[in-house]
Amino acid sequence: MTKFVLRRLVWSIPVILLVILLTFTMMKQIGGNPFRHTERAVPESIQNNLERKFHLNDPWYLQYVEYVKNVFTFDLGPSMVLRNRTVNDIVKEQFPRSIELGALAMAFALLVGVPLGALAALKQNSAVDYGAMVAANLGFAIPSFLVATLLIYFVSLKWGLLPTSGWSSWEYKILPTIALGLGPMAYFARLARGSMLETLQQDYVRTAKAKGLRWRRIVTLHVLRNSLIPVVTAAGPLLGFLITGSFIVETIFAIPGIGKYYVTAVSARDYSVTMGLTVILALIIVLANLVVDILYGVLDPRTREART
Amino acid sequence: MVVDPREAAREAPLIGAGGPGETAGAPIRQASLWQDALRRYMRNRGALIAGSVFILLLAFCIFAPIFSPYDANDADYTQTYQSPSAAHPFGTDQAGRDLLTRAALGGRVSIGIGFAATLTILLIGVAYGSVSGFIGGKLDNGLMRFLDALYGLPYLPFAIITLAIFGTVNFWTMVVALSVASWFTAARIVRGQVITLKENDYVRAAKAVGARWHRVLTRHLLPNTLGILIIAVFLELPGVILGEAFLSFIGLGINPPDASWGSMAQDGYQAYRVYPHIIVVPSVCIAILILCANFVADGLRDALDPRTRET
Repeated sequence: MTKFVLRRLVWSIPVILLVILLTFTMMKQIGGNPFRHTERAVPESIQNNLERKFHLNDPWYLQYVEYVKNVFTFDLGPSMVLRNRTVNDIVKEQFPRSIELGALAMAFALLVGVPLGALAALKQNSAVDYGAMVAANLGFAIPSFLVATLLIYFVSLKWGLLPTSGWSSWEYKILPTIALGLGPMAYFARLARGSMLETLQQDYVRTAKAKGLRWRRIVTLHVLRNSLIPVVTAAGPLLGFLITGSFIVETIFAIPGIGKYYVTAVSARDYSVTMGLTVILALIIVLANLVVDILYGVLDPRTREART
Repeated sequence: MVVDPREAAREAPLIGAGGPGETAGAPIRQASLWQDALRRYMRNRGALIAGSVFILLLAFCIFAPIFSPYDANDADYTQTYQSPSAAHPFGTDQAGRDLLTRAALGGRVSIGIGFAATLTILLIGVAYGSVSGFIGGKLDNGLMRFLDALYGLPYLPFAIITLAIFGTVNFWTMVVALSVASWFTAARIVRGQVITLKENDYVRAAKAVGARWHRVLTRHLLPNTLGILIIAVFLELPGVILGEAFLSFIGLGINPPDASWGSMAQDGYQAYRVYPHIIVVPSVCIAILILCANFVADGLRDALDPRTRET
C-alpha cells in the first residue's frame, strides 16, 4: 500500500510539470508584451529594466524553468494590471472564500443528493423515485446562472428572506451554496440511485435477506456501504464542475473569490493573474485526481496495480 | 484508398437503415443490428419523447425566424422590456427585439457551435484513441500517461485562454476553444472500444488473410465504434452547450448583434431584478436541450451498447 501511494505521488510530479508547461505555452501564444504599448509612456531604460526583471527577453525554456522554480517556491509573480499587488496576495485573500463556497456546495450536494438517490433506489418505480429523478434531471440541466438569478429574484427580492449578494455571515452563504451545489446534487442523486440498484441485486444482499436480517440492517450494513464507494470517489471529477460553476455563481452573488477574480482578470487582460490562477486550478485538479486514485486503491485493492 | 465495390455494398447496411432490398450477399446480421437498435429505441418512451422534443426544438430554431413577423436583430425602442403577450409570446428584450424570434436565432448559433465542437472533440478523440488502442504497447502506454496528465487541465480556463490567443470570438474560434481541453474522455472511450474489438475473431481472421493494418482499422474497428460515437455525441453535447453559455455569460461570447443562448442570458442578467423573463427564455431553452440530450443518450445507450444489450 505504501509503495502504491509513493509511486502515485512520484508520478504526479511530471504531471504537474507538464500541466504548468502546457499552461505556460498557451499563455505565451497570446503574445504581446505587457510593458510595451501601455497607456502610460514608460522610458526606454525603465522598459528594459522591467523586461530584464521579468526575464521577458530570455529564451522560452529559461522562462519556463524560472516560472516552475517560482511556482514551487509559491511565488506566482506580480499582477500586471494592479501594479502594487502580486498574484500571491490575490490568492491568499480570495482563495479561502472560494474554498469555503466549494466545500459548502459539495457538502450540500452530498447530504441532499445521496439520500435522495438512495431513497429513489429503495422505492424503485414509485412516485418517490419518479419525483426524485425528475428533480435530479432538472437540477442537472438548468444552468447555474438561471438558478442563481431566480433564487435572488424570489428569495431575496420578492420575499425579502435572505440578502442578495456579498459574503459575510451565514445568511449570505445559503443562496450561493444552493446555486453552486444543485448541479452536483443532481449528479450524486443519479449516481447513488444507479449504484444502489446494482448493489441491491448482489448475492450477498439476498443471502443477508435469507438469513433473516431485518431490512433496515441490510440496507445500512450491506447496501449503503457498498454502493457509496463509487459515489464518494466520483467527487473528484466533480471538482471541475464546481470550478466552472464558481465563475458564474461568485460573479452573480458578488463574492470576492477566485472565480469572480478570474473573470475580472481575463476581461482586464491581466495575463500573469490569469496564468497564476490557471496553474493553481490545474494543481487542485491534479491533487484531487491523486486523492481519488489513492482512495480507489484503499477501497478496492484490485485497482492498485492498474493505477500506478 | 481504392474502395472495392463489393466491400462498399457490404458496408452500406451499416449506415443506412438496412431495408430488405439490399444487394444480394449482404450479411443480414449487420443490418439487423441497426434495425434492432431502432426498435429498442422506439420502445423506450422517455427516449422517444426526448428525441421528438429535440427534433421539434431544432425545427423551431430553423423555421421560426423565417415565419416570424419580426426581425431578430431589429431594435424597436417603443417596445422595450415587454412581458410575454399575444404579440410577443416570450416578451421583448432591452432593445425591443422579439424574444421568440431571437431565441430561435440564438438556438441556431448555440446548437450549431454545440454540434461542431462535439464533432471536433470526437474527431480528435477517434484519432488519438484509435492510434493508441490499435498500435498498443509502449506507444499506447505513453499516450495514455500523457492523457492522464492532460486530465489535470481545467477546461473552462483553457477555453478562455484559447479565445484570448485568437483575439476574436466568432463561430469557429468558439468551436476550437470549447474543444481544446474536452476531448480526453472521448479518446479514452475510443481506445477502450478499439482494444476490445481488436481481440474479436473477425479481426484476427482479417489479419490472418493478410489485410493490412489500415484496412483492419478503417474497415473493421472504426465502423464498429460508430455506435459508441453516436452515444458520445449526445453525452458531450450538454457540456459543450453549457460551456458556450458560460463563456458568453461572462462576456466572451459571439459579438452582438448575433446572439447565442448564453449571450441572451447575459443580456437578461443585466435586467433580471425587474424583468426576469429575459434571462428565463434562453436558460429554459438550454435546459430543454440538455434534458433531451441526456435522455436521448440514455436511450441510445440501451439501444446500441452491446454490453447493456442483454439486460
